[in-house]
Amino acid sequence: MSEPTFEESQTELERIVERLERGDVELEELTRLWERGEELYRRCAEQLSGAQGRIEELARRLGSEPSAE
Amino acid sequence: MKVEASEVEGRKVFSVRAFNQGISSWLERLPTVWVEGEVTELRRQERWASVFFTLKDPESGACLAVQMKRGLFDGLRLALVNGERIHVYGRPELYEQRGEFHLRALTIERYGLGEHLAALERLKEKLAGEGLFAAEHKRPLPRFPRLIGLVTGNDAAAKRDVLTAITTRFPPAQVLVAETFVQGARAAPAIATAVGDLCERGVDVLIVARGGGSFEDLLPFSDERLVRAVASCPVPVVSAVGHEQDMPLLDLVADVRASTPSVAGRLVVPDLAELRGSLDRARAALDRGARRACERYADRLGATHERLRRAPLLALERRQARLDGVHGRLLALSPRSTLDRGYAIVRAADGLVRVPPRAGTELGIDVAGGSFGAVTR
Repeated sequence: MSEPTFEESQTELERIVERLERGDVELEELTRLWERGEELYRRCAEQLSGAQGRIEELARRLGSEPSAE
Repeated sequence: MKVEASEVEGRKVFSVRAFNQGISSWLERLPTVWVEGEVTELRRQERWASVFFTLKDPESGACLAVQMKRGLFDGLRLALVNGERIHVYGRPELYEQRGEFHLRALTIERYGLGEHLAALERLKEKLAGEGLFAAEHKRPLPRFPRLIGLVTGNDAAAKRDVLTAITTRFPPAQVLVAETFVQGARAAPAIATAVGDLCERGVDVLIVARGGGSFEDLLPFSDERLVRAVASCPVPVVSAVGHEQDMPLLDLVADVRASTPSVAGRLVVPDLAELRGSLDRARAALDRGARRACERYADRLGATHERLRRAPLLALERRQARLDGVHGRLLALSPRSTLDRGYAIVRAADGLVRVPPRAGTELGIDVAGGSFGAVTR
């Protein structure tokens, strides 16, 4: 199975949070879901900072003078 | 005009001037007519007000001097040469000073022009009927042509105009030039072949250019073979033939019609300077856009994470509250709360005491603080 995309991870994370907030989760399920949510969060955050890093690097490499707004 | 004669030695005598005036005014009353003949001795000079030629009867050799205002003559753009057969519309006129008679031409048409025009009109109707000129067949020009094809005569002007316009606007443009006959009987098939050749060599847009010329000069650009070649050309074609008012069939079948070769050149390439500017703007916008998108994602993820952090505690608290509620209700049902309010439970050996027992009965009594025994009296 291929690595889930950022969007997929984000969607799953948001579903988990919604379920937890609704509170209709079995007690045993609660911990498992929470751990899963934290893992998804970590993955999303890594992907995001990776993308940000690449944009910054590309901008530097292109000698991007800070664009005038 | 009344011409005066004088009496000399008993006869009526006219002066030369008066005679010529009289003839002139008489000639002026003659109607305007068409005269057919061959052009000979054509004389035209920039500093002359009129153009002169002699119209010759091909059968008898009879001659007629013709004059035409130079502006009028140039306006016809006939490019007349000696020996051509024409129709001249005009009226007789006398050059009084010299007593020379000539035809004052108002317009000139080539012999057989009407037939040419009618044939052209029929061809136009036929090709239009096949949908060759239909607007829905017009293709847009490529924004960034990789290779531009130019079909033109080897005369400098049209070619130079197109190339100058292209390289001024877009210096890196690549142009493949095919020089062909652009007038005469060989022109139409030659141009059609050049169009096909350039397409095979991978051009992605084509210009067919020719400077102005006479009606006959531009006839090849209305040739059915050329029109069909352009109609089936796999890449868009720009026509730049003749002047604004000429409308060869090539103009109708081409995807875009340019009024001049220069305009055609400007049409097929983008303006490099403008392009650079818009590219820079696009890159700056891309940069900002990418950063903003990242920020938005980060914000959303942060908020979701915050909710995730709170969610289990929230869920546990809700459970605790529910548990507390149930517990409270359970407590309310227990007898203990009744004892707390000062009631007591009295038991005898045979169970709860609900009626006064006999004296001397041993009782067990529960109160809120504990239990104790008692004996009835």
